[in-house]
Amino acid sequence: MAVGLLRTDAAEHPVSFVNDVVPLLTKAGCNVGVCHAKAGGGQKGFQLSLLGFEPQEDFESLTKEGRNRRLFFGSPDQSLLLLKASGQMPHGGGVRLAATSEGYALLREWIRQGATFDRETVPKLLSFEVHPARGSIKRGGVQQLQAIAKYSDGSVRDVTSMSLYESNDKAMADVSERGLVKISDIVGNVAVMVRYQAKVAVFSASVPLGAPVDNLPSSKNFVDEYVFANLKALGIPPSILCDDATFLRRVTLDIGGRLPTEEESTAFLASKDEGKRDKVIDELLRSPDYADFFANKWTALLKNRRDDASDTVSNFAFHAWVRDSFLANKPYDQFVREVLAATGTVIGNPPVAWYKRVKEPKQQIEDVAQLFLGVRMQCAQCHHHPFERWSQDDYYSLVAFFSQVGRKPSGTRGEDLIFHKRGLATATNIKTAIALKPAALGDAIPEIAADEDPRLKLADWMGGKTNPFFAKSLVNRYWKHFFIRGLIEPEDDIRDTNPPTNPALLEALEKHFIASGFDLKELVRVITQSHAYQLSEQPNQHNIVDRQNYSRYYPRRLQAEVLLDAIDWLAGTQTDFANLPPGTRAVALPDNSYNASSQFLRVFGRPEAESVCECERVQSSSLAQSLHLLNAAELKTKLAAPTGRAERLAKEDNPAEAKIRELYLAAFSREPRPQELKTAIDYLNEPGTAANANYQDLIWALINTKEFLFNH
Amino acid sequence: MTDLVCYSRCRSMLLAALACGAFASVSFAQSVGLPAPRLLTTTPMGAKVGSQVEVTISGESIEDADELTFSDRRITAARKLNEAGQTEPNKYVVTIAADCPVGIHEARVMTRLGISSSRAFSVGTLDEVTRAAPNTSLATAMELKVNSICNGVMTSRAVDHYVFEAKKGQRVIVDCATRGIDSKLDATVIVADAAGRDLQVERRGGVLDFTVPSDGKYVIKVHELTFKGGPAYYYRLGLWELPVGAAVVRQQSTKPVNSFSWPPQGLKEQADLAESEPNNDRTKTQKISLPCDIAGSFFPAADVDVFEFEAKKGDVWWVEVASERFGLPTDPSILVQHVARTGDTEKLTDVAEFSDIPSPVKVSSNGYAYDGPPYNAGSADILGKLEIKEDGLHRLQITDLFGGTRNDPKNIYRLIIRKAAPDFAIVAWALHMELRNGDRNAVSKPLALRGGATMALEVVAIRRDGFDGDIDLAMEGLPEGVTANGLKIPAGQSRGIMLVTANQNAPRAVGSGTFFGRATINGEVVSRPCRLASYAWPIPDSWGEIPSPRLMADVPVSVSGREFAPITLTPPNEVQTVTAGEKLTIPLLHTRRSEFSGAVLQLRTMGVGFDRAPQFDVSLTADQSQAVLDTAALKTAPGDYLIAFYGGAVAKYRHQPEAIVAAEEDHKKAVQELMAIEAEVKKLTEAAKAAATEAKPEADKAVEAVTAKQKAAAAAVAAAVEKIKQATAAAQPRDIVDIVVSEPIKIRVNSAEKK
Repeated sequence: MAVGLLRTDAAEHPVSFVNDVVPLLTKAGCNVGVCHAKAGGGQKGFQLSLLGFEPQEDFESLTKEGRNRRLFFGSPDQSLLLLKASGQMPHGGGVRLAATSEGYALLREWIRQGATFDRETVPKLLSFEVHPARGSIKRGGVQQLQAIAKYSDGSVRDVTSMSLYESNDKAMADVSERGLVKISDIVGNVAVMVRYQAKVAVFSASVPLGAPVDNLPSSKNFVDEYVFANLKALGIPPSILCDDATFLRRVTLDIGGRLPTEEESTAFLASKDEGKRDKVIDELLRSPDYADFFANKWTALLKNRRDDASDTVSNFAFHAWVRDSFLANKPYDQFVREVLAATGTVIGNPPVAWYKRVKEPKQQIEDVAQLFLGVRMQCAQCHHHPFERWSQDDYYSLVAFFSQVGRKPSGTRGEDLIFHKRGLATATNIKTAIALKPAALGDAIPEIAADEDPRLKLADWMGGKTNPFFAKSLVNRYWKHFFIRGLIEPEDDIRDTNPPTNPALLEALEKHFIASGFDLKELVRVITQSHAYQLSEQPNQHNIVDRQNYSRYYPRRLQAEVLLDAIDWLAGTQTDFANLPPGTRAVALPDNSYNASSQFLRVFGRPEAESVCECERVQSSSLAQSLHLLNAAELKTKLAAPTGRAERLAKEDNPAEAKIRELYLAAFSREPRPQELKTAIDYLNEPGTAANANYQDLIWALINTKEFLFNH
Repeated sequence: MTDLVCYSRCRSMLLAALACGAFASVSFAQSVGLPAPRLLTTTPMGAKVGSQVEVTISGESIEDADELTFSDRRITAARKLNEAGQTEPNKYVVTIAADCPVGIHEARVMTRLGISSSRAFSVGTLDEVTRAAPNTSLATAMELKVNSICNGVMTSRAVDHYVFEAKKGQRVIVDCATRGIDSKLDATVIVADAAGRDLQVERRGGVLDFTVPSDGKYVIKVHELTFKGGPAYYYRLGLWELPVGAAVVRQQSTKPVNSFSWPPQGLKEQADLAESEPNNDRTKTQKISLPCDIAGSFFPAADVDVFEFEAKKGDVWWVEVASERFGLPTDPSILVQHVARTGDTEKLTDVAEFSDIPSPVKVSSNGYAYDGPPYNAGSADILGKLEIKEDGLHRLQITDLFGGTRNDPKNIYRLIIRKAAPDFAIVAWALHMELRNGDRNAVSKPLALRGGATMALEVVAIRRDGFDGDIDLAMEGLPEGVTANGLKIPAGQSRGIMLVTANQNAPRAVGSGTFFGRATINGEVVSRPCRLASYAWPIPDSWGEIPSPRLMADVPVSVSGREFAPITLTPPNEVQTVTAGEKLTIPLLHTRRSEFSGAVLQLRTMGVGFDRAPQFDVSLTADQSQAVLDTAALKTAPGDYLIAFYGGAVAKYRHQPEAIVAAEEDHKKAVQELMAIEAEVKKLTEAAKAAATEAKPEADKAVEAVTAKQKAAAAAVAAAVEKIKQATAAAQPRDIVDIVVSEPIKIRVNSAEKK
C-alpha cells in the first residue's frame, strides 16, 4: 500500500490524471462550486467539473484551453497552474498548494511527464471504504479514519489525506482534513461522510452516555421498543412520562393544531379511564381540526401560493381538496398519485392546481423527489450528485415521467387543462444529448406505451411495497412533526451518506406504514400512542445532553398560525381574515396571501409556500417576536376587545379563583398551582386599577410565558 | 297568516329591496350596452309541481316589469295584489300545473324595454321551503326535513347551517343545485355531526351520498368555495332519502353550450351495445362490428376500453363520442390501430387518433380585450373521419384524458361509429365586438328590440360527416313589425349571422320565435333547429369573472314599443345591383333619435362576399351617407348576397325621458289638489271663526280634518317634486357605447360582359 501523494518511483511511473491529479485538485478545493467548478465558466475562465466528476473535461480545460498557458512544459514550475495555486502569482482563491507541498510536487511531475490523460491501462477506481465503518466513541473522544481506495488492477491505496470529510452533525462530531474525528459531549449517533473521486463512504459513530438505564417506561408499541433499545444502548435514561395536562395540551396541539378547550381539559383531567390518552388521540384524528392542521402543513409544501387574484379559486379548491383528503383519511399513496398524475381542470380536479404552480418537468421532478421521496435531485441536473449516487442520467430519466404532460388553455387566466399527451416518454440528458426513457432512481420501469400516462407508472413505483424512499420519507417527515427532530435530518435529504439516528426504528415505522395501506391516521396514532412521545420535557440528571435520541420531549415554540389561534382562544377574540367567515382559524387559511395583512403571521414565520422544504417555515425565535408579544398593538387590541375574555371575566360575578382557574385551563390545560393562584388573586385585588385592565394584564402575562408559547 | 310567514315575507321583501338596489347600482354604472331588461333572480328559484308559490324577482331594467312568463305554458303567474287590491312590485303568484314537466324552465318578465333575459326556474317533486332567517351558525341552523328542497341565498363570508334528523342506516342524498340553475355559487356542501364536526364534504358540484351512522341530528353546511355571497349566489339544497342500491337522480341542470351538437339526428335513446369489462388491453378486447353504437363508462381510474373490429381497405367511417357534452368533466380520446398478427406477435400501425371537436370559431381567451366569442361550440368530445387503409383487424381504444386518477362510474360515454350521415347542428348568441375592454355586457342581451333596431346574432355550425354545403338561416313566429334575415353560413365555413330587425313602428309585443338552419343534403332539404346561448349573468369585467354560458330552451323575441334605437341605418329596399369588378355605392338613410359622442361611426361589413371590405366612416351628424363596396378588390363572384354594416357608437342615452313628463303631470295634479284643499281650509277656518258657540266644535272638527288632508296633499306634492327630480336625473344623457347594425342590404353581383 502506497502512502503519500507522490510515489517514490514517480519518475519511472507516470502520474495518473484521474487517480492522482484530479483527487489532488479536489482536496485542494479547486473544483468546488464557489471556485473553478462554478457554473457558467468557473473562475476567470478556468472551469473545472464539480469535484472532478468529469476528468476528461478537466483535462481539456487544463491542457487545451486558456491559450495553452496553464501548463508550461519547458519549465513546469512556470506553469500558470502552479504559480497561481502556490500563490506565486495573485490568485483569488489564495494559496491552495504550497510550493513545498507534496501536491505541488505531484502536479509538477505530471506536467514534466507531458501532462497526458490516462491510458486505458491505468487502473480504475472500483471501490472506496472507510475504516472503521462504525464505532462507539466516548464523549470527548477521537477516532482517526482511514480511507482506502481499491482499483481495477487489484491495487489498494490509502487515500486518507486525499479524501474529503463531512460530519452530518457538526455539533456532535468535527472532522479534520486528515480524517481525525473529534466527538463533543453530545450523545447519540453521528455520521461522517468520506468522499474520494466519485465514491462516498460513511463512518457511523455511536456516542454513548453510559449512564444506568434501569427504569424504562413500559412499551406501548414497537416505537417504544426501538426508542428505548437505542437509549439503553447509549446509556441515556429517559425522562418520566408527562402528566395528563401536558399530554392533552401536547397532543391537541400536535394533531389538531389548537389548544384544548376548558371543557376538554376538565373532562380529561377528571377521567379515571386508563385508556383515555388513546381515546383522545382517536377523537382528535376524527376531528376536522386534524384535517385543517395537516392541510396547512401540506399546502405550503405543495406551493399553494397566491400570486394574483385569479389564483383565488384554484388555491381554495386545492387547499380544500388536501383538507378533505385528510378528513377522509385518503391513503397517502393515493393522495400522492392524485397530485402526480392530476388531469383535467382545477375546479373538476383540484390537484391540477399543483401543475399551475410547478410548470416545468425539471421543477416537477425536483419537487416530487424532495417532497415525496426525500431525495434532493437538483444537483444532478447539471452534474453527478456530489453526495449521492445520482447521475444526470438518473435525473433526466426521472424528468421523462413528466415529459408527456399536455396542457390546453382553460377559460381561466393562467390556468391550463392538464392531460396525458400521447407519445413515448423521454427526456434528453443535456450533456450527452441522449434521449432517456423513464426510470425511477435506479429502478427500471417496465416499458411504457405511448398511450399510457408515465406519471401513473411513477405513482405505481412510488406506492410499491419495496420502494426504498416513499414510505421512509413520509414516516420521517411525520416523526419530525411530533418529535421536532427527524430520524434523518434534514427530513428531505435521505441518502446513504446521511444515515438515520435510529435505523431500526425508521425501518419499523416504514414497514408499519406500508402494511397499514399508507394510513396516515394510523401512523399518527402509533406515534402519539407511544410512551416515547409521551415522555416529559423535564430532563433528568443525565439526559439533558441528549438532542437526538428522544429520551425526553423537546419543547417547540408554537408555529405562527397555531400561536395566533391560541392567543385568540385565550383572549376570547377572533382575527379577521379578508373575505373569510369571521372565526376562521389561522390554521385553516387556504394559502399564503393572508401573511401580507398579518404582521403576526409574518413575524412568527408562516411560510410563503415557495419551497417544498419545511425549512421555509421559520421556527426560530427573534427579537421581533418578543416585542410583538410584549407590546404589539394587535395584541393589546385583542386583550382589550369588548367581547373578549378579559372584559367578560371582569364583568362576571364569579369568585376570582374560578376565573383564574378558567384562564389556566384555557392557557395551559391545567389547574393553577397554589402559588400561581395567590399571585394572580393578589394582582387582581390590587387597588387603583380597573378590573378589566387587571384581567387583560393577567392574560398578557400568561401569553408571555414559555409554558404558553411552547408545546412541551 | 302566522307570524313566521309574515316574518318570512318581510325578510323576502327586504332581500328583494336590497337585491334591486344592488343591481340598480350596477345598471347605472355600466357604459357598454344600452340598458337591457335582465331578470337576475327569482325567490324562490323553483317550486313543487302542482303547487302555487309567491315569487319575488329582481334584476336590471325591470323596474316596470309586468307579465312574468315561463317557457312552459303550464307555469303561469299573476301579479301579487296587496290587501287594497293594488299590485305589489316585483311579486307574483306562480302556479305550477300538476302536469308541468319536472325540470328547468325559463322565467322571464315583460318590461318597458321588452322581454327580459331568462332565469332558470326549477320544477320538482319534493316539498320546498325558502330560507327566511340567517342561519350562519350552528346555533341558528335551520331545520330541514328529509325529502325537501330549500331555496337559499348565500351570505358573503358565511356558512349556512341546516339540521336534519335521521336514523341509523338511512341513506340520504344531499344535492345542492347551483351552476346548473344559473347561480354563481360554487358550492361546498358538508354533512357534519350534531356538534358541527365535518363528516363528509363535496366541493366539485357532486352529491353527498350519506349513510347515517347513528340515530340523531346531523348538520348540513353550505358555503361558496371562496366564501363569496350575495343575491347572485343562490342555491337549491335538496335533501332526500334513497333506498340503498338505488341510482341517484340529481336535480335538473341547464345544458352547456356545446351540447347543442348532440345528439345526431335520429339517434336512439339507448345504445345498441354496452361496453363489457374487462376490455382493458389487447389481451382482453371487446369484439364489435361496424357500424356500432356503444354505451360505456370511464371507470375505474385510468380506464382503457379496447374494442376490435374487422374493416376493409377504403372503408370510410365516422366516429363520434359524446361525454363532455353530457355535462361531464371528461376528455375522451380514441386511438385506432391496424393489427397484423404473426403467431403471437402483433404489429400495430396507427390508423387514426381522435381528440377534441375544435371550436368552429376562435374562442375568447377571457382576456381584457375581446378576441372572440366566449362560447365554445367545440367540445372535448370526438367527431372525426376514420379511413381504413388496410384490410383486417382493427383495434380501437378509448380513454378519458382527464380520468387518470378519478374513480367515478358516472363519467359515461356514448361511442358511435357510422357510415357518413352528413348533417349539421347550429347555435347562436348575441354578437359582440370590441366596444370597451373587459366588458362583455352585450353578449348576455335578450332579444328585446327597440323600435328601429337591428340586433345581430352570431351563428356557428358543427358540420357532421363531411357535410360541406351552404346553411341558410331563418326565423319564424316573430312579432308584428319584426323581420329576420339570415346571412348564411357559406359552404365550407362555420359562421353566419342572423339579423333581427324591428320596424320603427313595430308595436309592443313578444313572440316565441323558431330559429333554424336549412340546407340541402343528399338532394333533400333538411331543417335543423338553432339553439340560443347566453351568459347566465352580464359581465362588465371579464378580467374578474369567468362567464358561465348555457343554452336557452326557447327563442323569445320582443319589441319595446316605448323606446327606440338611437340610430337606424336604412339602405334602399330594392336589390342593389353591381357588375362584378365594379364599385357599388349604397346610400344609407340615417334616422337619429339620440345625440352621440363623436362625429363619425366606423362601419365594418358582415355577410359573405363582402365581409373583407375595408372599414369606412359615416357621419353621426348627417342624415344620410353612402357606402362604397369595390367588388374588384373583394373579388366578389356574381350572385345574390345579403350583407349589413355594423360598428360601435357612443350614444348620449337618456333613460325614459317620458317619465319626466308623466311626473310633471302628476305634480301638476298634486299641486291643483293641494290648492283646492287649501282653499277649503281657508273657507272652513273662516266658517269656524264665524260659527256660533254650539256649532263651534263641529266646525273646528271640520277644519282639523281638512288640515290633515292639506298635510297629505302637501306631502304628495313634495313626493311629486322628488319624482320629477329622480326622473330628470335618470334622463340625463349618459354615454353608452353599443353595437349599431344597419338594416340588411340585398346585393346582386352580375357577371361582367365579356368584351
